[in-house]
This record gives sequence, C-alpha cells and structure tokens, in this order.
Amino acid sequence: MRIKLLSRQRPVRATLIAAGAIVTLISLSVGAAINAQQQLSKRYPGGKNVRVELRNISGTIIVESWNKNEIRLSATIESKNAHVEPKQINDCLMVDVMGDNRGRGDIGDINFKLQVPVNSSIDVETRRGNINVSNIRSGLVRAYVSSEGDIELSNISATHVVAQNVIGNIFFDGEFSSGGTYEFKSTKGEITIRIPGNSAFRLVAASPTKQIKLNDFWNNGFKTQDGRKYVGDVGDGRSSVSVTNFSGSITFLRK
Amino acid sequence: MNCEQCQELIHDLVDGQISQRDEFTLNTHLEDCLDCESVRQDLASIVVFCQMHRGEYEAPPNEQALWLRIRNVIEAENGGRVNTQTVSRRPSFLGRLLGHTWELSLPQLAASTVAIVLLVSLATTVGLRRWGSESTHGAPPQAQATNNVNDRVWQRTQAINYWNQRVAENKARWSPEMRDTFDRNMRVIDEAVSNSMNELNRNPHDEVSEQMLNESLNDKLALLKEFSDL
Repeated sequence: MRIKLLSRQRPVRATLIAAGAIVTLISLSVGAAINAQQQLSKRYPGGKNVRVELRNISGTIIVESWNKNEIRLSATIESKNAHVEPKQINDCLMVDVMGDNRGRGDIGDINFKLQVPVNSSIDVETRRGNINVSNIRSGLVRAYVSSEGDIELSNISATHVVAQNVIGNIFFDGEFSSGGTYEFKSTKGEITIRIPGNSAFRLVAASPTKQIKLNDFWNNGFKTQDGRKYVGDVGDGRSSVSVTNFSGSITFLRK
Repeated sequence: MNCEQCQELIHDLVDGQISQRDEFTLNTHLEDCLDCESVRQDLASIVVFCQMHRGEYEAPPNEQALWLRIRNVIEAENGGRVNTQTVSRRPSFLGRLLGHTWELSLPQLAASTVAIVLLVSLATTVGLRRWGSESTHGAPPQAQATNNVNDRVWQRTQAINYWNQRVAENKARWSPEMRDTFDRNMRVIDEAVSNSMNELNRNPHDEVSEQMLNESLNDKLALLKEFSDL
C-alpha cells in the first residue's frame, strides 16, 4: 500500500514541475514580446498655424485635439527594426515612416496617437490601418488609406476635407464650411455623412449600386442618372461635396 | 492748362471741332507756350497740305519691269564671275542644286502654294479614309465606342503593367499580412474596373460608368505605386 502511494506521488510531482516550467516559459516569452515593442512619446511646441503630416505604412492613426498649445506624439512600434524620426520645420511636424525605414524590409505595425491644438491642419495617411480624427477646426483634414482601413472623422469643422480608402467604412461627423470642399471616396465600404440640417452645399454623389440615401437633404432640384448619381444643391450650395462609392452605400444623416 | 491738355485740344482745333470756351483757353496757352504753338503750326501745315493734294498721287512704277531691270543688272554682274569660275572648275551636281536660286513670280508662287495645299489635303483625306476603313470596317457606332473604351483602358494598362512589375519585384519582401491586404484590395479594384467595363460595353455612352472606370483605374494605379515602394 505504501509502495503504491509513492508510485502515485512521483507522476503528480513531475506533472506539477512540467506545468510550472511551461507557465514560466510562456510568461517569459510574453514578457520578451512586450519588451520588443518600442514606445515613443515626444512633445513639440505648437504655433498659430500648426500642420501635422504623417505617412505611415501599417497601423492605426489617432488624432485628437487638446487644450494645449503643443503637439504630443505617441507611438507603439511593433518591430525593433523600425525607426520613427519626426521632424519639425517651423509650425509643421512631419513623420515619414516610409522614408525613415526605406530598405529595412517589413517593420510591422506602428500605431500613432497625436494630440494637437484644435486649429491644426491634419494630413495623415497609411497603407493599411484605421484612421480616427476628432475635434479639429482648421483649414485641412485629410485622411487617406491606400488599401484597407476604416476612417472616422468626428466633430470636424474644416475648409477642406478628404477621406479615401479602398476597403473600409468612412464616417464623417461635422460641418461643411462656406466655400469649402469635401471629398469622400471608397471602393468597398459604407460612407456615412452626418451634418447639421441647415447645411448648404452642392453635391455630386455616385454609387453604381444605387445605394444613395440623401434622406432629409433630398430635394426636387436634384438631377439623377437612374439612381446611380445625384447632382444638385442643398440650400444655396455654398460648399462643394463629392462622394463616390463603387460598391457600397452613401448615406446622409441630419444631426 | 498744361501742355498735354493743350496738345489734345490742338487736334480738335485743327479738325474744327473745338468749343468756343476750349478755343479761348487754348489760345491763351498758345500765346505763352512756344512749343505748343510749334506743334499747332506743324499739324496745321500737314492738314493743309493733305487737303490741297487730295486725290493726287504718283503712279506706282511698273513693278514687274523694275524687277526685270534689277535681275538683268545682277545677272550681268554675276555672269562675268561665273564664266571665270567655269573655266577653272565645273561645280558638282550637288553644288549646282544647292546653289540654284529659285525665282518665282507672285502668280507662280500662289499657284505653287495652291498646288501644295491641294496635294496635302488629298493625301490626308485618302489616308484618313483608308485608316478608318481598316480600323472600323463595317463596325457599328456602338462597337466603335467600345473600341475607344478599350483603347483608353489599354493605354492605362501600359502604366499599370509597369507598376505591377515593380510590385512583383518587391512583393517577396512583404509580410504575409501585407501581401494578403494588397491582393484583397487589388481584387476589389479589379472588380470595380470589370463592372464598369461591362456596363460600358452594354452602354458605351454611360457617363457614370465612364467616371467609375476612370476613377477605378486611377485607384489601381495609385495602389500599385504606393505598394511598389514597400
């Protein structure tokens, strides 16, 4: 009986030791992976006409305003081979990941977060990844995804807005300024534009799949080509809005 | 009144179209200003001369006779030199061709020009008809429009092929995720191109499909350019 007990205890101990070793290995590898990620955080002084230009390869970009007269750039860099060298020239902060990493091969994702003064001009693009810009009142907001990624522009009041991707949704929530130009384009995704009811603009909207919903902004003055394209004025047409979607919907919503 | 204003009024004075008030002001200025008075006198002399000799003109010289005389003088002068040169060495055929002076009278020149214009027009018309019959022989208008669309796509395809090649060279270096992303997006754009082409084949003058085709081809080119750098 005693012998039997001993023979049972040995396998239990061995199992415990093995499990402990596995747990240790896993925690070590996770720790190593976490350590491989680089964190970047820098602050730059902001002037009256701040402009931010960011060219990323892969990863998310978040831009939001804050109540400080400076720019804060934070980045999570997946690969230790990746370099990020922001340059500030006068009031313009430029980050060119493509240029900084030419010839380095695959550098994985770099996720950016930018906190900028509310009146900053924003020009951001990435080959792949989501872009989110919020609370900006300036001359320019441009968000460009070369391939796939959602674009969300919230609480935007800018004279020129461009949002373009191939696969992914585009959401704009903001105002159309008098004399401004607004361009939204996707190949496969949903485009949603949420604006105040008293917005005045000239619209050219095209979607071959006939999924154009102007809702409260529709009027009898619109000319349509069998539902695939709408051209017309809303109000006095003070600003120019162009929306193109190859295989998705275009929806206008009233705030 | 200054001299500039005065000289403007002198023209009216000479033409007899000046008001009494301006004439009085002008005369006051002319009494004091010798320069303006001189201008007035010159202008008045010219006008009087022209009025006196109105309708008289000298007969123009006989232009043709004048050119003949000039030519005879030149030939007479050159003739002696040519004779002395021919004794020493006869010029080559090319030299004679290049050295030949082409003298054409005005009617000859006009006739030559008309003949050249007619020949060029004829050649162009025949060429265009022949080219047209070769390219669209028996084709209905819809087929011609389709050919135009295909031509335009073909032109863009040349650029796309170039960038495709660039992408293919670098694609092996990309991560599997990046390759999947590129392929997926390219398929979506190709689908948009294909849909637009099909619609245009059905309705060659469809404005929306034409716009979509152009934009989707631009997008394809842009995607290739962007990823060829990676």
